[in-house]
Amino acid sequence: MTSVNQEYNEQTTDTRIEWLRTEVLANYTAYLLITPAIVFLLSVVAYPILETFRLSLYQSPTNSPVETFVGLDHYVAIFQSDIFYQLLWQTGRWVVASVTLKTVLGLLIAVHLNQQIAGRKFFRTAFLIPWGIPYAISAVVFRWIQHPQYGYLNAILLETGLISSPIGILGNTSTAWFGAVLADVWIGTPFMAIIFLAGLQSIPDDLYEAAAIDGAEWWHQFRYITVPQLKSVILIATLLSTIWTFVSFDVIWTMTRGGPMNSSATLVIWIYRVAFDQGSLGEAAAFSVIGFAFLLVFAILYLRLYTRGGESL
Amino acid sequence: MTMAGHDRTGLRKVRIYGVLLALLGIMMFPFYTMVASTFKPEQEIFSTPATLVPDEFTAEAYLTVWTQTDVLLWVGNSFLISISTVVLTLLLAIPAAYSCARNEFVGKRTFLLSVLVVQMFAPVVLIVGLFDVMVSLRLYNTYLAVIIPAAAFTLPFNIWMLYGYFKTIPLELEESARIGGASQFQILWKIILPLAKPALVASITYTFLYAWNRLLFVLTFLTDDAKFNIPRGVFSMVGALQADWRMMLTVSVIGIVPILILFAFLEEYIVAGMTSGAVKE
Repeated sequence: MTSVNQEYNEQTTDTRIEWLRTEVLANYTAYLLITPAIVFLLSVVAYPILETFRLSLYQSPTNSPVETFVGLDHYVAIFQSDIFYQLLWQTGRWVVASVTLKTVLGLLIAVHLNQQIAGRKFFRTAFLIPWGIPYAISAVVFRWIQHPQYGYLNAILLETGLISSPIGILGNTSTAWFGAVLADVWIGTPFMAIIFLAGLQSIPDDLYEAAAIDGAEWWHQFRYITVPQLKSVILIATLLSTIWTFVSFDVIWTMTRGGPMNSSATLVIWIYRVAFDQGSLGEAAAFSVIGFAFLLVFAILYLRLYTRGGESL
Repeated sequence: MTMAGHDRTGLRKVRIYGVLLALLGIMMFPFYTMVASTFKPEQEIFSTPATLVPDEFTAEAYLTVWTQTDVLLWVGNSFLISISTVVLTLLLAIPAAYSCARNEFVGKRTFLLSVLVVQMFAPVVLIVGLFDVMVSLRLYNTYLAVIIPAAAFTLPFNIWMLYGYFKTIPLELEESARIGGASQFQILWKIILPLAKPALVASITYTFLYAWNRLLFVLTFLTDDAKFNIPRGVFSMVGALQADWRMMLTVSVIGIVPILILFAFLEEYIVAGMTSGAVKE
């Protein structure tokens, strides 16, 4: 800004007017170029957000245009219901289990990929593939693997003698959620691995060389060099993964639709269920607003991490 | 590493390959089960316990889905939806990213940060509001109802990635063109975009994959099964009381072939895009 002002003061009146004109014109183009994106995001993201807030105050059947104002009734009903607290617990369990496994496995893969080995490009591509497959397809494949009669998981467990009769993970209220976690971990680990690998590659080699000369074992190198150096990457990646896992829809919906008996439902699964199975847009909107509140907390954390250190954009 | 003797280096290599191959085996196993099952004859797929290697190979399932399902139509729709989403996203992202990379203006920081926040607002939480909008705009059950939200949710990533890349292109290249009388649009089209090819490829791949893979929008906004994409097609086969696993898995295999081809050719760009979009170094 200061350099712009200096430039401005150094000029004579005539050129100053001319300069102002071009400056305005230049900025005019700048604004013109971002306008389509702004208009688009306002109408496809901002407006539906407002619409969700408005709808949450109405009784609004999905299949009819009738709307009745009910104020905060939906919220009161939600906070007084047992299902809400059950959903919170199930969502928390789903996010913590899935993100922890993805982080640990991703780190394990990244550390081993970050070595001087032949075929690194092959391994990198191969590990990435599950992330690129449609979630619904991965979910179908995991349903197949976990099929109580014909599934490979049961075949392996039976062959190795770990179980004596077939088990149905997805059909059981206490295990169905974990069956979905397995699929989600399979899908989400590649992203973690690639992000961690990028982070690992930015750690200077001489740190490791010095440690090796001092006789540090790989575990000590991992603990005292890798983890501290990778801290901010791990933080950002787990936060992003937390957000994505929190809102993950396709996997659970394809595998269990939240069942059996709502045991694998999360908050977002419930939003969908209420809106399109039970046909109550207003109540689903109120659940969505509660979802927003959680996302807002994550978003603030993410922004603070992202813009930390006062770095200019 | 330098101090380690030959034996220890050798052992280390064995350990690294051992771990990588074991993990790769686990990661590849679901693919294997999927593909292996599609080549089994109908009665073998329903045997207990499952056979790891088909006793008898047959491509019969592929013939059956070819003639009895809309798999070709679904693949076509997936392409239509994905390509349209890519075009729409780039049309919006390129000018915005370029503008931010090249100009200082009031509100730029706010714009870029708001865009980042949009990335946090997941589609599912917005689905109720979006549904209302699509119905009132009479877009329900049209391709646009799927393309528009997909573009909105890939736009943030694209703006940030292209913005980062455009900033690295030297300003001098544009200035000589500007002296030659080229407009900002001409400069963008003739100088910047050709130079930004790696970033554009990453953008296109990311957006294409996003649109190809998503079930939610198609599930919610399209009712007409002639408009389904691949994930929705596969999902529609799950719905039946007695799922036809063999057909479902076969359609799944067909649906991921384009993605495997994409990965084989564009792995580097995908990785570059994934890492630069989410994590700053």
